[in-house]
Formats: sequence, C-alpha cells, structure tokens
Amino acid sequence: MPNDAPAQVTRTRSGRPVTVLEAISEALWEEMERDERVFLMGEDIGAYGGAFKVTRGFLDRFGPSRVIDTPISEGGFTGAAAGAAHMGLRPVVEMQFMDFISPAYDVLTNYIATSLYRGAGPMPLVVRGPVGGGNRGGPFHSQNVEMAFFHTPGLKIVYPSNPRDAKGLLKSSIRDDNPVIFEEHKGLYRAPHCREVLPSEDYVIPLGSARTALEGEDLTIVTYGLMVHRSLEAAAELARDGIRAEVVDLRTLLPLDEEAIADSLKKTGKLLIVHEDTRTGGIAGEIAIRMNERAFEWLDGPILRVTAIDSPVPFSGELEDYFLPGVGDVVTAARYLVGY
Amino acid sequence: MTPEPAGHAPNSFPATLGSEVARDLLYLGFQARFLEARVRDLARSEVLHADLAGFRVDPRSTVLARAMRGGTDGKGDLCHPGPLAPGPALAFGATPLEFLRHLAGKGTSSASAREGGLSWTDLRRGIIGWGAPRGGTATQVLAGAAFAFRQRGEDRAALVFERRSALQSGGWHEGVNLAGALGVPLIVVLAAPQTGDGSDHADIEAVAASYGIAFARVGRDSPERIFPTVAAARRRAVNGEGPTLIELLDAGDGNRWEHHDAFAELAVTEDGLPEQVLDAIRKAAAAGVEHAAARLAKEPGPSTRDALVPVCTDAAPHPPWTRRDPPAPDTPAPNDAMGPPHAE
Repeated sequence: MPNDAPAQVTRTRSGRPVTVLEAISEALWEEMERDERVFLMGEDIGAYGGAFKVTRGFLDRFGPSRVIDTPISEGGFTGAAAGAAHMGLRPVVEMQFMDFISPAYDVLTNYIATSLYRGAGPMPLVVRGPVGGGNRGGPFHSQNVEMAFFHTPGLKIVYPSNPRDAKGLLKSSIRDDNPVIFEEHKGLYRAPHCREVLPSEDYVIPLGSARTALEGEDLTIVTYGLMVHRSLEAAAELARDGIRAEVVDLRTLLPLDEEAIADSLKKTGKLLIVHEDTRTGGIAGEIAIRMNERAFEWLDGPILRVTAIDSPVPFSGELEDYFLPGVGDVVTAARYLVGY
Repeated sequence: MTPEPAGHAPNSFPATLGSEVARDLLYLGFQARFLEARVRDLARSEVLHADLAGFRVDPRSTVLARAMRGGTDGKGDLCHPGPLAPGPALAFGATPLEFLRHLAGKGTSSASAREGGLSWTDLRRGIIGWGAPRGGTATQVLAGAAFAFRQRGEDRAALVFERRSALQSGGWHEGVNLAGALGVPLIVVLAAPQTGDGSDHADIEAVAASYGIAFARVGRDSPERIFPTVAAARRRAVNGEGPTLIELLDAGDGNRWEHHDAFAELAVTEDGLPEQVLDAIRKAAAAGVEHAAARLAKEPGPSTRDALVPVCTDAAPHPPWTRRDPPAPDTPAPNDAMGPPHAE
C-alpha cells in the first residue's frame, strides 16, 4: 500500500479498529489494488470523495479512468456499468443514497438481472450505497431498498451489520460473477460501538451465509443491518428476565440462508423477524412462508415480526422515531412470543 | 443431412468501399431480403409466431454493421442492432439458421429458448440485442462497453442502432450524455421516423452539439453513402476522438431497398462486377436462407429443464412445488437433521 494512501484505508494495516465506513473503504481499495478490472462509478466519488467520503483519496491513487465522477443519472451509469461488465470489467457503482437507485430499476431488473439467464453471460457488478433511517433524512434519504429488488431472480442482496462483515462481504460481492446490491446502513457508518480490529490478511465472507450473533434457546430473532444491534440490545434486556434469545444476522438477503434460520428455529421453536424496512411485502413474509414450508412442525407459536410502519419515512425526529422499530418493540414482541 | 452453407465470414475493416465490401453488402443484402420473405412465410404457416407475418429487415443495419469490425471470438466491435434488425448479426457472421432458431425459440438456439424473438445477444459475435422495454438502455450499455474498450486500449468500438423514437426516452439522453462526458468510442445511429415513433421535433444535430459529440447525417442514400459515414465515425472513435451521432434519414420504400437493384446496378457498372458474379452472390444468399427455413422444422423445441438453469452462476433453481414431501405432522420434515419435532 502506498504511503500516501488515505487514512481511512490504512487503519487495519496499523492494527487499529475501523468503523463500518472505513471497512468498506478498505475493501474497495484493496480490491482495486488486487484487480485492475475493478473500477468505481458514481456521483461525486472522485474529487469530492463521495457524499460520505468512502472514496476519499481514491482518485489520486487510481486516476479518473478507474474512479469516475458520473453525471447525475443513476439509470445511465448503471446501464453503462452493465456494458463494462459485459466486456469483462468489474464495476462498483455508488448510489449517493440508495433511495436514488429507483431510476436504475429498469436496467437492474430487466437487463442486468436477466443477463445470464437469457444467454448474455455473467454480470459482475456491484451497486452499493447508504440506506436506512434514523438520520432525519426524510422520505428520500432514508429508505431501505432491499425488497424492491428481492423479488427479482438474478440479483444478490447484501446488508452487513458490522465492519468485519462489511469488508468481507463487499470483497466477495466484487469477486462475484453476479450483480450484487450492497446496502450500507448509514447509521452504522461511523457508529463508535461498531469499531473493531479486522484481520490484517485478505479475507472474504461468502455470500448467502448468515451468522449467529448471539446464541439462545428460548426464541429466535432473525434480523439484519442496524436491527442486529437493536435486537442485541433487546436480547440483553430479555436476558435480565431469564429469556435467552438467539439472534441470527442474515448478512445476505438474497440468496437467503434459510438453512441457518431453520436450524435456529428448530432449536428454539419460536421465530421473531425484525427488519427496519416497512411491513407489507417485507422480508419477514418470505421468511415466514419458507419456515412454514420447511419447519412447520417445529413451530411452538406464531411467527411474528417487528418492522417499520407502512408509510414513507417521516422527516420529523419525533415521527421517525415512532416509525422505526425500536428496542422496546422487539422486547414486547419477544415476551409475547415466549409466553405463547 | 445437408450441411449448413457457410455463413458470411467477417472481413477485416476496409478503409474505403471497394469491390470486396460491395460484394459483401450485396450478399448480406440479398440474404436479409430472402430471410425477411421466409420469416413472413413461416409466420403465415404458423411455424413462427403470427406477429412475424409483418417482419421487416432494415437493410441499413447490415451496412452499418459491415462498416464495423466484426468477429466471432468476442474481440470484435460491438453492435446493438435494434429490435427489428437481424442484419448486424448476419454481418457479424451469424447464419440464417442461427437467427431462425432464436426467432422460433428452439432448444438449439443460443439461449436455449430462454430468450428469443427479436432480441438476440451473442457476445462472441459482438451482438447485444434489445434488452429492456424502453429505448435508451442499449445506448447506456453500449456506452459502458465502449468505455471498457478504451480502458484496455483496444482497437474496438461500439455501435448502437435505434429508431428516432429513442430521442423521447430520458434513458437515451443519459446514455449519450455519459458517452460524451467520457469520450468513449461509441457510434449512435438514429433511424428515420417510422410507425409508432410519436411526434418529436428535435433537431438531432443540435442534440449532438449539446452533448459535445460529433454529428453526421445520411440522406436518402444507398449503402455506399452509409458505409463511409459509419467507417469514418469508427475511425474517429478508435482514434480517441469520442462518440458520433449519425442521423439516418428515411431512405424511401420503407427503408427496405426492396430489390437492391440500384446498388447491384452500381456494383456492376462502376465496380465492374460481372452479371454472373452478381447472380452467384444472389444464389448463395438464397441457398443459405432456404436451408435454414427447411431445417427449422426439424430443430427440437426446448426442454422444460432449460427453464431451470441458474439465474445466478451459483444458484440452484427450484421447481414450482416447494415442499419436497407431502406435509405430514407426525413425520420429520424433509432433510431433517435435527431429529423429530420437539413439539411432539
């Protein structure tokens, strides 16, 4: 690594803990150093270093042919990324906020996701960017977008909850031959409690593999992203009453590691799904039907969910706090389920 | 089995329109015309979908593609031929039988019938077909591919052939704007108004100027005018001079050059092409098409297994029924690794 590398990509090298944001920067930097086919596209990612400074210093190191400041046209540059991927490059597209991915919905679902199936070959590209509420961003800077794409065969969706996973999963996503939507909760980007020292060696975390964030026996809480932390807080509160919750962090939503969910469910008999995304059409519904299909006999109670309410993300702090699922909501639902 | 006649072999890129190019264009033009007629016949006899009874080949697409550098190894130029133009695929070396297999959704088609009809992608041949419901996506995708060419310093360019109606799509403008901003080796060709093209009044030259890219217009012309225009745009592209927007005006007769007579006459009189050579070219083109049409009925249809290929390189497809055994509360669930349900 060059001596003039930006600070946010050198912390692991010097043994210091990193945030989720720094872990993502490190993953991008190291993959660009490792593979010259990897390049970045996005709005203000070059000279400005990105809205959240994930790519600060990248332009100096890799130059304008690999760190491309695009016009403000998400559909256009995502389509261009598809063409570059056709020709063997491995583009990583940054959405300044993932809310802005909607103009690229057409090319992502109709063109990119179908490429392999219709004989046009693999499509190794990553679309990444910040998601999630809690920052008073209002309706257009706070959404979770996973379920807009979850229904589309051919895509993968990744949503990490901590620095170690963020780095290993992003590296896997970049090396994957399929299109990956990579969601980064902006509430975790610089969260102090999320800092951790990462392995100094190159590592990847396979896509499609959940992890057990906390072991327990009384109920299973399946969740991802920022809600992993809310669920762990809830589990700590439940533990004071002797309720031992198991928390499963999905990490990858598509493909969904239903084996891990079923294994945990078979151990606890109770399933609570927690997601920050809105309720109707949320991933909880898909998980519920899959467990109905493969583990119905192990259920000792109804499958419950704690989610955001079905509305746009409100701007006011008071309203947003009410809109988002909180620790208290998880605790309440868990108590009900355990007592069922 | 009668062997399939050899397809048109892509030639090296010529600097000018010489007799070799003229003969190629004649061959490809005849081939496209015969193919058009056979597709219509096959549609009327219900071998192909009835919607194809009005199938048309825009022969200009053949000329456009012939002005590029074709290949069969994935290292040639790239072309998006528009939804109604097999011409570029033929010019890039595809055979009529391959085209008909794809059109008919045969199991032997390049995508095993998972894709078919008029959208055909074959990256080895440099063809990226129609792949989204709105105009403009192809321009974006080809702009990105052209970026890859420049990134690697390759002597390659991309051409996207769309109807003028693309102008009405925001996606097209995004693609052209990006191509202009990045200065990639892309040629964007917009064809004359056709049915369903709406009512835009844009001055395409002004559009090109607004995006800072070169512009050329080809009028009511025959191939010898289109070819050098595209060839010049290609030279500009691979020389690093950026994209070019080419406007093709209506050539009359529905852009079909129904009999190629004018061009054939030109080839005979100005290039000294003997009549018998012209006739041989015509017969060779017809033979390939007739072989393909005759062969098509013997081609197998797809197997339902073809529908179950992975949508990702590492994904296992599932059949419609998701429960592997009938539900039975008293028996362990399928693939149970944990023993009987602890609820018992």
